Amino acid sequence: MPAPLPAPGPAPGQGPWPASPIPGPERGEAGHTPSGGIGGLQLPLALSPSAESDFSAYLAGPNAEVVAALTAWARPTATDGFIYLHGPTGTGKSHLLQAACQAARQEGLAAACLPLDHPGLEPAVFEALEDWDRIALDGLEAVIGQATWAEALFHLYNRLREAGRGLLVAARSPAAELGIQLPDLASRLTWGATYRLRPLDEQDCAALLRHAARRRGLKLGEEAIAYLLKRCPREPGYLLGLLGRLDRASLTHKKRPTLPLIRALIEESRG
Amino acid sequence: MGIWDHCVDFLKGELAPAEYNTWILPLQAAEEGGRLRLFAPNRFVKEWVENSYRARILEVTGRLSKGQVVDVTLEIGSLRRGPSGDVLSSMAGHVATSGSSSPAPDYRSDSNLNPDFTFDTFVEGKSNQIARAVAIQIGQNPGTAYNPLFIYGGVGLGKTHLMHAVGNEILNSNPKARVIYVHSDRFVGEMVKALQHNRIDDFKKRYRGVNALLIDDVQFFAGKERSQEEFFHTFNALFDSRQQIVLTSDCFPKEVPGLDDRLRSRFGWGLTVQIDPPDTETRVAILYSKARHMGIDLPEDVAFFVGKAIRSNVRELEGALRRLVANSQFTGVPINLGFAREALRDMLAAQDRQVSIANIQKMVAEYYKIRVADLLSPKRTRTITRPRQMAMALARELTKHSLPEIGSAFGGRDHTTVLHATAKVKVLREEDSSIEEDYKNLLRILSS
Repeated sequence: MPAPLPAPGPAPGQGPWPASPIPGPERGEAGHTPSGGIGGLQLPLALSPSAESDFSAYLAGPNAEVVAALTAWARPTATDGFIYLHGPTGTGKSHLLQAACQAARQEGLAAACLPLDHPGLEPAVFEALEDWDRIALDGLEAVIGQATWAEALFHLYNRLREAGRGLLVAARSPAAELGIQLPDLASRLTWGATYRLRPLDEQDCAALLRHAARRRGLKLGEEAIAYLLKRCPREPGYLLGLLGRLDRASLTHKKRPTLPLIRALIEESRG
Repeated sequence: MGIWDHCVDFLKGELAPAEYNTWILPLQAAEEGGRLRLFAPNRFVKEWVENSYRARILEVTGRLSKGQVVDVTLEIGSLRRGPSGDVLSSMAGHVATSGSSSPAPDYRSDSNLNPDFTFDTFVEGKSNQIARAVAIQIGQNPGTAYNPLFIYGGVGLGKTHLMHAVGNEILNSNPKARVIYVHSDRFVGEMVKALQHNRIDDFKKRYRGVNALLIDDVQFFAGKERSQEEFFHTFNALFDSRQQIVLTSDCFPKEVPGLDDRLRSRFGWGLTVQIDPPDTETRVAILYSKARHMGIDLPEDVAFFVGKAIRSNVRELEGALRRLVANSQFTGVPINLGFAREALRDMLAAQDRQVSIANIQKMVAEYYKIRVADLLSPKRTRTITRPRQMAMALARELTKHSLPEIGSAFGGRDHTTVLHATAKVKVLREEDSSIEEDYKNLLRILSS
């Protein structure tokens, strides 16, 4: 297996980047001479959830209308530029926001998705975002109780609207229940269409597991799906994470995903 | 695929989704020979990327390009796709000047006015008819009377619409007039940039040379002394040369917090008009108007259902209509009353959770500076009875609870007491303007 490149870390200094030549590919270096990949690199398998954040990887179930609305939002011809999405944890808000931005980029639009619960973010991150065609803000509840964030979002909203851009906001609760202290912002968040994401039922979860297993090329029988659904919380994020681990364990041990393997993984995940 | 696309793909595989989405995806790239120029949307993102990912990006791009990329820079700015390729808009906040090659200046686009916000599209009702009438007069004869015009009221009631309508009317009468609409925050932002780039004289010239200056939400000048100072001089220059000034705020001029007294007093020099929350009939008329604009034929019973259910502000009303239309287009089901009830169920349930009897009692008690326990007590002094009657009437209007349920929530009173309170408040609102004012204020607080 090729060794990975060194882990990313903070770089000293904040000055302009060096104009000096960047070291070229180190062909002789161990771990960087595989025949596949780009420029002599073996690209890692894209197994993280972000790698599959497109609409096709989202099982819409009861949320088909939301997917249709976000697909329309991502088009240059969108008429509903401002959308507010809410739903409990595990309903796929982050996935949908990333999928919507990805779809917008495929349409040639400049789109960015910001998870507001990211540590270290400050309201200054909103500056000049009106230069972008589509902005998606995830996890609004993480910051919006703070006056500085509320005012920064209020001004961003106005700038985006004035510039004819699109804004997609996701939170766990409706805007009215987030305790927003700035009424000007609270009313703006209700200006566009508001959608509630509904949790998947058992049938939907089974379909999700079938769909995800097929995409991974993992042979998961109906018995295994029923076993998983009986013993695991009905949360798509948890189920897909478990499926990922099952896939890796199956590859590592060169075994089919048997019930004992699944049981062992479930027990391991419970710690 | 360019080198940067390959680099992004590579980083996607090794960074956590949140990191990748927040810091790598928002970067845009332009490759020029051996030079890779990366653009961050703002200073915050630029500094973060420099501190956390600089070394990694340098290393990965160097390897992936086999040494062909010899220079990587990170700047603030953005690339926009144009018909003739990418157009660079460097420096955050710099407004792209598409169409600036046109020889004749387009005053309307320079003015930031929304051409859809006219008097024709502004629905008149009892709550806004005075403000509208005054605004029309100013639009037709700017700078002659009512200067400045100060429009205040709660959120989402049409202050900005009316302000744009004044500007559009002035331009219709005189297409060469210099009219600028600007939100107070943008005024502050432009001034800060002008100071940074030593162009404050240009800034002064721009704002002091207009025929009409429309500044929205002046309450956001609060605490920004330098901006207030600059605006004070702009105000004086325009006022002295009899150019029109229109301002909006969420409260009465003298009550805007954090403003210099001399500004506050100037805001009150002309005419101050208030916009109240629209009544049911006006809300229904607004819905018809919005639906017509969207090309939708809205049935009367649906318009009344939505108009009665959504009281808080016009924005939420429009949001409900958009939701209804989107749902109808998605399902192919025509909009009727049953459909509307179902489509807006989540929205109305959230609203119901907001306005509970307990919440009404708490707000009314705070408003009249009494205790909630007094509202529920057997006390029958006038200082307690009047607030209690108001709270009962509000509970009747804002919740779906029955008369006995409301009576029970007020210390186990009979349903006839609630009925009497509701009738009494109705009469008092018609006879006593202060009661009407209190009722409207409470309605606004509870509905927003």
